[in-house]
Amino acid sequence: MVPVQWYLLLATAVFCIGLFGILTRKNALLFLMSVELMLNAANINLVAFSAYWGNVTGQTFSLFTMALAAAEVAVGIGIILVLYRNFDDVDVTLAREMRW
Amino acid sequence: MTTKPELRTGSHLLPGLAAVALFVVIAAVVLRASFGDPQGFASDASITASIGYAMFNLGMGEIPGEGMLVAFEIIDVVLVAALAAAVMLARREEDGNMVALLADGGREITDRLGDDGTEDSPAADGRPAADQGGDR
Repeated sequence: MVPVQWYLLLATAVFCIGLFGILTRKNALLFLMSVELMLNAANINLVAFSAYWGNVTGQTFSLFTMALAAAEVAVGIGIILVLYRNFDDVDVTLAREMRW
Repeated sequence: MTTKPELRTGSHLLPGLAAVALFVVIAAVVLRASFGDPQGFASDASITASIGYAMFNLGMGEIPGEGMLVAFEIIDVVLVAALAAAVMLARREEDGNMVALLADGGREITDRLGDDGTEDSPAADGRPAADQGGDR
């Protein structure tokens, strides 16, 4: 069995790549991809500890997290569409007010 | 001549150092932590069936797990709400115009304002002012 520390290290790397993308990019689509990376890092942790402790709660919960990620992407893409229609761009720094 | 994507370097990458630092800190903690002896799944246990039983609170799985029926129902509602919200955000009107949630991004209303701050009417491009977003 692979030591659980390596799974945690993988999850940390994936999470930090997502965080790096959010901190350094302005494209809303790349933001969405970065958030997905961070959510999937959490999934890796859930599944790794599920296997580690011999309990399926973590794996079951990771399925719900994936469904939540799908819902988030659906709304996120809708918001990006509206952003593009209004600003002709998907740069997140253009929209500075909640109402314009 | 072929081109390949290049990483644009510059000062905009500086905030990313926070992510790199976070990785270093977590990796240092994780690699030195001990989690006890792993238990693992029984070799003859059906993991998929156990997940299915746990998801619907049936309690018949070979592998222990908490019931997730309430979470299942909540996610069900959230997915339907997200689907409806995505359709509402992305839909076009019946005549094909994309006017749902359309605003001007602060540009056209600035163009339409005269030097004294009053709104010029009609708009310079011939469209009625009501079609240009503005305060919508």
